[in-house]
Amino acid sequence: MVSNDVVIAVKGLNKWYADFQALKEIDLDVMKGEQIVICGPSGSGKSTLIRCINRLESFQEGSIRVEGVADQNDLLTLRRTVGMVFQQFNLFPHLTVLRNCTLALTRARGLEKAAAEDVALSLLDRVRIREQALKYPGQLSGGQQQRVAIARALCMSPKAMLFDEPTSSLDPEMIKEVLDVMADLASDGMTMICVTHEMGFARRVADRVIFMDQGRIVEAAKPDIFFEAPRNARTRAFLHQIL
Amino acid sequence: MSFFDIFRGILEGMDVTLTVTFMGLCFAIPFGLVAGILQHFLKGASRASVTMIIEFWRSTPVLVLMFMFYYSLPTVGIYLSATLVAASTLGLHVGAYGSQSVRAALQALDRGQVEAGFALGLRRPAILWTIELPQMVRAMLPTFVNQLIQLVKGTSLVALITMSDMTHRAKEISQLTFDPPAIYSALLLAYFILLYPITIFGRWLERKVGQGSGKLMEDHGRGV
Ligand SMILES: Nc1ncnc2c1ncn2[C@@H]1O[C@H](COP(=O)(O)OP(=O)(O)OP(=O)(O)O)[C@@H](O)[C@H]1O
Ligand SMILES: [Mg+2]
Repeated sequence: MVSNDVVIAVKGLNKWYADFQALKEIDLDVMKGEQIVICGPSGSGKSTLIRCINRLESFQEGSIRVEGVADQNDLLTLRRTVGMVFQQFNLFPHLTVLRNCTLALTRARGLEKAAAEDVALSLLDRVRIREQALKYPGQLSGGQQQRVAIARALCMSPKAMLFDEPTSSLDPEMIKEVLDVMADLASDGMTMICVTHEMGFARRVADRVIFMDQGRIVEAAKPDIFFEAPRNARTRAFLHQIL
Repeated sequence: MSFFDIFRGILEGMDVTLTVTFMGLCFAIPFGLVAGILQHFLKGASRASVTMIIEFWRSTPVLVLMFMFYYSLPTVGIYLSATLVAASTLGLHVGAYGSQSVRAALQALDRGQVEAGFALGLRRPAILWTIELPQMVRAMLPTFVNQLIQLVKGTSLVALITMSDMTHRAKEISQLTFDPPAIYSALLLAYFILLYPITIFGRWLERKVGQGSGKLMEDHGRGV
């Protein structure tokens, strides 16, 4: 399924928070239909990297192109091209599930309410939560909320999806329902970058697993190689710790 | 004069009390919102000047401001009607307090929601309008009701710049019949009748908001 078209191209990325360098010389090409899992110790720059991709963070050196859009000034197009799912869901608590999903469609895409609701309902269906459309986020479980967040991002028909530890704040019994939805997306050919420590998911779904440490990409390999024969000592230490 | 006659005489001032309250809101709400939002978003010198304006209105006695505007401005050729002076000074005074709850409500909002808005490709004003403001308004409704009550009470000052509100009517009546106990208890009763339903409404709102039920939130999220 992975093609030769590059959807996200990161080149020579360097990022500082004041004096602290959070990302060092990051190069990463993500192909159309490719699923990438990023793991690494806390503070290694995983979140920073994916937040740079949709410019929730700015950076000082290097370039990031998404579907050829590299222009810093065209932030809106860029952000509508990649969807993002956060660890804390970040749903809008004052709006129904349905309105959470249609808000950007009507506000940013200019769709009519009825057309937006059609799109939203079909995506809520896809994450298997359509029957909750008229509830408020606070009335749903964590797993359900995260699935709504996924549907909300999918509404904008993104060319790629970014996930920042989407299951880390979920109770164990809810992790599977979210991972299943993500695996479905993957098998439909969605281009994805997932920061996650769910190694079972990585093995099953990822085309490439990336290990980051201290702001660098230390290792990037297909899952079988990554888990069976990592080249780098730090990767081995990390895997030893979490597996 | 019977107590009832006195009471009826005082109610004749109700329209002035209500007019000043309503016009006062027309100053208080926009000023409170704009000043609070600016204070939240601005930085440096521009923020400091907004803060200064807010502090000016918070830290000066309304009565002095009313006298100032009503009696001193004419000496430099500016004539404002008593109603306008009353509504603007009271309104800006109450609005200045309100601006602080606006700012606090904005700061209390979780930053993640703003980021989610950005990630969906919304512009900053759309995020403010559809995500932040509705939640802020909701969080602020009980405070808003309290300030409305302050405003109504404050209107009793307008008697001192010649307006015939309920308090002024009471004064007038006391010149006709010397019966302070009856007159001032009738006046208290009149304010109480006006304010009590508002406090009840405020308490109901507070409960409603406290429950975090969706209904109220939705009303404010709709159509924006
Ligand atoms: N806004 C910020 N200001 C200053 N430093 C920051 C900021 N955000 C992140 N950092 C620092 O940058 C480094 C990378 O942070 P990042 O959040 O990307 O790590 P992470 O790999 O996602 O970690 P975690 O697994 O804990 O989420 C950390 O050392 C962090 O302290
Ligand atoms: Mg992180």
